[in-house]
Amino acid sequence: MDALTRTWLILIALTTASAALAGTGGLWTGAAVLLLAAAKARAILGGFLHLKAAPGWLGAMMLPLVLWLLGLWGVYALSLR
Amino acid sequence: MRLDDLPGELILWILIVSELLIFAAGITVMLVLRVGDPAGFGAAQAMLDGRLAAANTFVLVTSGLFAARAERAAARGAKRAARRGLMLAGLGGLVFLALKLFEYFKDYAAGIGMETHPFFTFYYLLTGFHAAHVLAGVAVLALVAIRARAEAVQAGAMFWHMVDLVWVLILPPLYLMR
Repeated sequence: MDALTRTWLILIALTTASAALAGTGGLWTGAAVLLLAAAKARAILGGFLHLKAAPGWLGAMMLPLVLWLLGLWGVYALSLR
Repeated sequence: MRLDDLPGELILWILIVSELLIFAAGITVMLVLRVGDPAGFGAAQAMLDGRLAAANTFVLVTSGLFAARAERAAARGAKRAARRGLMLAGLGGLVFLALKLFEYFKDYAAGIGMETHPFFTFYYLLTGFHAAHVLAGVAVLALVAIRARAEAVQAGAMFWHMVDLVWVLILPPLYLMR
């Protein structure tokens, strides 16, 4: 199996997991769907946009993205109080 | 970590980061507003059909695979295979838009407008702006398919992956985080 097909299969699996969580609210479900979104973003950036082959750049893109998603989760948690 | 290590043109990475920032700002403001009216936002969100959004995610990531294959084919000079990949990726974009339009019609029929609730203002703005990018992406894929030069196909595919990336990030706050 080539790298592109592997990336696609990872994205399909992650999307299926996200869809399975749809409709179930809550703090930890929110964390799970954001974690899955981060994993999908990493697959697209690394596999389709080839950042895996660019030393340091995948991490440089993912770090602010993950921090932002963590921030979103924090705001979401406030709305559940 | 050097700028020269980045695949493709630097300007495209500037575009990708800029677009991500714009959508991130919209999503962040929407979630901050939700803190003031969690019940209203939750009720509004529950009116959306998450199945269509999930189907569209499958469509878009699959079209991303075709765009990536087209890029690889163009890099080795296989123009016919590159055009086939671009055509399939563009077709995926059109299916995405058709599903999105269907979803909008369903929403409209259910009485959901931009001013029904602040959640829907963000819903229509974020998904509408994204759909405009999908439409632009389909046009870009068609344009680069004409000559199928490696650099142009790579640029088109990068734009398409950005559209894909934005969608997977706007999906959870709009449809999944209830």
